Amino acid sequence: MSGEEAAGTVVSPGGEGEAGVDLLATHIVRAIGVRKIFTMGGEKVHALKGVDFKVERGEYVAIMGPSGSGKSTLFNMIGGLDKPNAGKVFIDEVDIAALNMYELAWLRCHKIGYIFQTFNLIPVATALDNVMLPMLFADMVQAEAQDKAVELLRKVGLGDRVFHKPVQMSGGQQQRVAVARALANNPAIVLADEPTGNLDSTTGRQIIDLLREINESEGVTVITATHDHKMLAVSDRIAWLTDGAIERYVSRDALDIQEGRADAR
Amino acid sequence: MPETEKIAILPYRKVFQIAWQGLRIRLVKTFLVTSCITLALAFLTYILFSNGMVAGVAERASEALRQRLAREGILEQMLSAEQRTQTAWMLGIALMNSFVGIVNAMLISVTERFREIGTMKCLGGLDSFIVKLYLFESLCQGIVGTALGMVIGLVLAYAEGVSLFGREAWTLLPAASVLRILAASFFSGVGLTVLGALYPAWSAAHMEPVDAMRSEV
Repeated sequence: MSGEEAAGTVVSPGGEGEAGVDLLATHIVRAIGVRKIFTMGGEKVHALKGVDFKVERGEYVAIMGPSGSGKSTLFNMIGGLDKPNAGKVFIDEVDIAALNMYELAWLRCHKIGYIFQTFNLIPVATALDNVMLPMLFADMVQAEAQDKAVELLRKVGLGDRVFHKPVQMSGGQQQRVAVARALANNPAIVLADEPTGNLDSTTGRQIIDLLREINESEGVTVITATHDHKMLAVSDRIAWLTDGAIERYVSRDALDIQEGRADAR
Repeated sequence: MPETEKIAILPYRKVFQIAWQGLRIRLVKTFLVTSCITLALAFLTYILFSNGMVAGVAERASEALRQRLAREGILEQMLSAEQRTQTAWMLGIALMNSFVGIVNAMLISVTERFREIGTMKCLGGLDSFIVKLYLFESLCQGIVGTALGMVIGLVLAYAEGVSLFGREAWTLLPAASVLRILAASFFSGVGLTVLGALYPAWSAAHMEPVDAMRSEV
């Protein structure tokens, strides 16, 4: 995959200047000079200070950084869940800001699969219904959606939990349902916001492996916001975010992984 | 994107199913809203029927009944302006109470499901889907609550009618009037509920997904 070669180097923030004139269509996500300002108690907080961020098709990228670094904000921008105050975000070369309500819903439905820290399953619906929901939003025939949902649940190892409700499942199982749901409409990108944040380390590991597996077998681009160091070992590339700016990119080869701790060279 | 227009036009059956499951899970709250409507509608139906019966006395009652009523002064009391204004006020307050109760209950229901709404929008659900979901939910509650209230009001009105007018109570209202009153009660009950759900549903649907999911309740 082309993503692997391009991601193999450590890039300094200064090297991102040419982002605006990139004509290669291999970038599934392109954020240029993204700024976001929140007003909290009358004070302006610069959550993102002009972030340039590019992800290639099929890449597995982790956005790392301490809490308050703007991780989640950047994640929301990429997911089309929030709009930047300045700068542009392109998903598959489409400027998100230019989309109307319907097109944005279409994008979220077909192009992006979301996985959340808190699983966010619909509590009243079974695993099957949860996975079917995005397909029904995509106007798929019910019977077809059902078959596909069962198949996806099998793939994530929940073939025997199809009719269970979220409350009848463990955290790890719920997150598996969420992974299946994220894949419902064959998205190009899976966005995972702290997918292991509410899981113990063993189940967290399983979810990470599952995401990697899907990334490799389906060629889905996976972008995770995380501060789970287990995520580093499987990512192609890590973007370190501090104080609302990308401090540096690190490729997997450049990682020095130690016992219980991983850091960049 | 040619498919744009077609997204999220869910089969109504599915919308209904999700709404219905939501109602079942939140049984206590569902019961509260429903009882709100039931009480108001019982009152409305009762008033409409007993007013109808009193009006029917002048046209249809036998001479004997009319004389008895005149002797006991019941009719005058019921037809007095004072009595009627009082009833109208009470009716208005009851309906308004129930309306406020419905809006309140629906707003709570929206608030505690912010995350769910945000998630649905992330999955590609349109605003109209969220609105539909809440309107269906209130429609279910409205129909059940109204039907129940109508039965209670009808029973009360005829129980009183029989005690006042004896057997003739059954003949005081022609079938057409009965149907008209039932229809009026039904539509005002269901209408009130759906109207009460409109603003909460709209405000739920127009939230940005991030805002919906950020809020902790």
